[in-house]
Amino acid sequence: MATRTRRSRAATGVLGGFRRSLPMRLLLPLLALVALMAMLMLRGYVHSEVLADHRVQAPVASDRVPDRILEGGPVIDTRGGRSQSLSLRDHRLVLTFDDGPDPEWTPKVLDVLKKHDAHAVFFVTGTMASRYPDLVRRIVAEGHEVGLHTFNHPDLSLQSKKRIDWELSQSQLAITGAVGIRTALFRPPYSSSASALDNRTWPVTKYIGSRGYITVVNDTDSEDWRKPGVEQIMRNSTPEDGRGAIVLMHDSGGDRHQTVQALDRLLPKLQARGYEFDTLTEALGAVGAHTPVTGIDLWKGRAWVFLVTASDNITAVLVVGLAVIGFLVISRFLLMLLLSGVHARRVRRRDFRWGPPVTEPVTVLVPAYNEAKCIENTVRSLMASEHPIEVLVVDDGSSDGTARIVEAMNLPNVRVVRQLNAGKPAALNRGLANASHDIIVMMDGDTVFEPSTVGELVQPFGDPGVGAVAGNAKVGNRDSLIGAWQHIEYVMGFNLDRRMYDMLRCMPTIPGAVGAFRRSALERVGGMSEDTLAEDTDITMAMHRDGWRVVYAEKARAWTEAPETVQQLWSQRYRWSYGTMQAIWKHRGALLDRGPSGRFGRVGLPLVSLFMVVAPLLAPLIDVFLIYGLVFGPTQKTIMAWLGVLAIQAVCAAYAFRLDGERMTHLISLPLQQILYRQLMYVVLLQSWITALTGGRLRWQKLRRTGVVEAPGGPVPRQRASSDDERRPVG
Amino acid sequence: MTQEHTQSTYDIPRQQEPSAPPAPAGRDRYLDLLRSIALVRVVAYHLFGWAWLTVLFPSMGVMFALAGSLMARSLNRPAWGVVRGRIRRLLPPLWAFGAVVLTLLFVGEWSPSRDPDHGGVQGLVELIGYVVPIGAPPYPAHIGSPSGLLEDTWAEQAAGPLWYLRAYLWFVITSPLLLWAFRRAPWPTLLAPLGLTALVGTGLVAVPGETGNAVGDFAVYGGCWVLGFAHHEGLLRQVPRYLAVSCSTLLMAFALWWAAGHQGPNGWDLNDIPLAQATWSFGFVVILLQYSPSWRELPGRLAGWDRLVTLSNNRAITIYLWHNLLIMATFPILDLLYELPFLQSATVEAALDSTYALWTFVLVWPLIGLAILGVGWIEDLAARRKPRLWPNGAKKRAARQR
Repeated sequence: MATRTRRSRAATGVLGGFRRSLPMRLLLPLLALVALMAMLMLRGYVHSEVLADHRVQAPVASDRVPDRILEGGPVIDTRGGRSQSLSLRDHRLVLTFDDGPDPEWTPKVLDVLKKHDAHAVFFVTGTMASRYPDLVRRIVAEGHEVGLHTFNHPDLSLQSKKRIDWELSQSQLAITGAVGIRTALFRPPYSSSASALDNRTWPVTKYIGSRGYITVVNDTDSEDWRKPGVEQIMRNSTPEDGRGAIVLMHDSGGDRHQTVQALDRLLPKLQARGYEFDTLTEALGAVGAHTPVTGIDLWKGRAWVFLVTASDNITAVLVVGLAVIGFLVISRFLLMLLLSGVHARRVRRRDFRWGPPVTEPVTVLVPAYNEAKCIENTVRSLMASEHPIEVLVVDDGSSDGTARIVEAMNLPNVRVVRQLNAGKPAALNRGLANASHDIIVMMDGDTVFEPSTVGELVQPFGDPGVGAVAGNAKVGNRDSLIGAWQHIEYVMGFNLDRRMYDMLRCMPTIPGAVGAFRRSALERVGGMSEDTLAEDTDITMAMHRDGWRVVYAEKARAWTEAPETVQQLWSQRYRWSYGTMQAIWKHRGALLDRGPSGRFGRVGLPLVSLFMVVAPLLAPLIDVFLIYGLVFGPTQKTIMAWLGVLAIQAVCAAYAFRLDGERMTHLISLPLQQILYRQLMYVVLLQSWITALTGGRLRWQKLRRTGVVEAPGGPVPRQRASSDDERRPVG
Repeated sequence: MTQEHTQSTYDIPRQQEPSAPPAPAGRDRYLDLLRSIALVRVVAYHLFGWAWLTVLFPSMGVMFALAGSLMARSLNRPAWGVVRGRIRRLLPPLWAFGAVVLTLLFVGEWSPSRDPDHGGVQGLVELIGYVVPIGAPPYPAHIGSPSGLLEDTWAEQAAGPLWYLRAYLWFVITSPLLLWAFRRAPWPTLLAPLGLTALVGTGLVAVPGETGNAVGDFAVYGGCWVLGFAHHEGLLRQVPRYLAVSCSTLLMAFALWWAAGHQGPNGWDLNDIPLAQATWSFGFVVILLQYSPSWRELPGRLAGWDRLVTLSNNRAITIYLWHNLLIMATFPILDLLYELPFLQSATVEAALDSTYALWTFVLVWPLIGLAILGVGWIEDLAARRKPRLWPNGAKKRAARQR
């Protein structure tokens, strides 16, 4: 069909440059995938699935820690070479909450604090602050102080200085992004009281001081993470004899309802005893710990928080997408298994008849464009036909003597019609005009029929409601890898998809390689059209809309040669998927029609769109999540899930092979098909989408003449390409 | 890229007669290219020590497969002569290398009879490995002082790769038998080494000492060697491509799975995981040979590499023998950089430090070139050819064009 387009491309040569930068057509889809992947990585990063380090240093000797620090208060100032510690005055109590902010418990803690008019310090981790910037904003707005608790909570005594710097700056970035401030307070993860400092942690404390931070440990541990009960938490948090204290609590990391309840009772109780609940700097009577940030640092922080939020949102959408695609894939397979089983049982019943046997002679149309190599085989295979036929070879302006070869064969019942190169739809229409019989079989110039093919193909016309019949195209060259993959695809496409579509009465395509039409039906819908790149899909949809049944004849086998190179395959599939989209778009009006056309528009069209245009669009998600799962874990579960989907596919494929009586050996290439071939198919589809959504729509009708659609496919050896388009396994 | 690649491989008609040897004038440049890539990969791996290089391209498997293929081709002639010829070609370059290494070792006051790892009379007997590498030659774990010109492990680094010669020798000697077995029962012979690896490479059966090493290597790479036979005898072409590639992929998936569960000290370094190395190399080589396009000339952009490919193939033994010692030699040379007056600043020093390995990689090739000039001609002598200084095929090409 692509005769004309190919010619114009050769003539203009404008697209040569486009072809040379071959990756261009891969670039957009690839970019989209990389962006998705990057977003997922970012998510894995702030969810501590990457770089998470849960090792904790065992305690060591503390002889190198100054005694005044060990015996001193919980606020340790090592800035500028100092080493002094501070304690709180009596009746001053600073509540500190570690590991937050948490979307569930931090608001409750804040509510309780507000209720009792108390202030506190929240030591937030960078990961949580990045994910919940609103909570950080609320903490600061309600008069509390925030401090750093590192980015993702490692034991700093095990980390390099570089990593410590990174932990500090990255969490500072998150806080800046959330509220536009920097904080001078720091609490090391896994810290307790000043007396617990040792020879490993003291140098870290000094280093952090040299970076300008005040280290705040605690002297009163509520031990609320043990969930010891509200009473116990209150007891743990109450200092003796009205002394001042820094109390450690947690507002994240699990169920914290005990903490919240204890807080609600502890606050009034201690306030009654004369305690004040202030932020740290208020309690110490020092300058505030927060300093506003402006300029580039502020924007860096905001950009960071924006990216993290976006990645979280995108990931949520992706997960929904994955669920949708998973549901679609599985339900499609189940539906196919069910319906193809029913179909096979029905047409294989011994007493099954379409109607009275069809014995009348039929016309076989062979449109040919430069098929010199194959045409003789094709015509000879027809001569062996068991059904009476008339063969009409329509030569579409071949330059390699295709027509002469047929004429030289000098066979009875074989006529040659020549025309100037005008494209496949025109050739078919011309053949139709010259045909002598009422049933028209269409095939490709390089397809070979079995002796029984024509007979089997036309039997369904015994049913007067049947307007068109799809045969069973088989891949001949199936020993190469790419051939084996297409073989699997064809067998599944014809034995599962087509049977399913037959049962649902919405088969979208009669394959150009082997199909038959009732002449009267063809004439009613106006013959072949040049509106789309897939005139076979176009005509089939038109048939449905005119109320004809389109059925599948499994025994009408035709042997074709599948594309042998990735480039040929790409070109072929690009036209299929783009043509299908065009055809769906062309027939979109059926959605609102009445009668059979409306039925097809409301059942068939959405179904076909879903399975052929929308589902493949989501298919890359499977691979994106496969990679994500392999990298960030759970690796084993990811592999098992993938193998599970593979197993479902293998079962379906095996069933299809059994229905067709094919040897199972080719199924061995199914796993590899899933990691190489499937991706190619969806990149092609993505490419079609891009064409459709960009320039394509403007030139909807004229596309074929400009040759734009052809260009990405690159050069295709002529004799093959002219007919590749017509062997449609699926749909 | 993939498309271009597939295009080129698919378009080549596979019409080569299965058993007819290619005309002696035209070497199969595809195989030559593979050998060159394998050599570069080996040098890079020994220099950088990146474990993933062993997964990216299993060089040793590829080299053994190529050698196996050539061996099968030669064995159309009487076996004894072929084996003798192979050994004769192998030994003189080894002797030259051994003479240098042993001289350096003895100057460094190493005594094999007193080495704790070797010891006594046995240590002296093992020295025969430098003459006929039936076993891998002995070397001290440490020699000299850590602060010396060369690192104190230089001997291990330099002589370590000599196991390859031992394995090669074993394969050459057993080839007549292997080929006989292969012609009788191709599939069992092809797969037997993998089975043997599953036994001796996993610790199920332990063979002690140097014999154990030899048997282990023989098993790990035996599959690739026999694959070379299968390639030459046309067995691989009889298997439909989809079947060969799919099965190889499954085998390689097994290799990765096995490697994941049996990681060695360097993680995924397949050299430490015999069964993974054997299966990964086997699958990889099947795919490489399955698509073997039999080039007479390097196509397209590859043509620019023609001379280097020719040179590295003509001097493969020299490059392989000497590269590790030369890597050692780059360190003292590069350290001279730090002495240069105009490079005396902290930033430059830091930059040098962080790119040190890269400079080593850059410097090692000129040194290898020097080694080719210095001792490469021994390969020609061993092959009873006229010694050539720089056999990159340039002259022959020029002569042909005239």
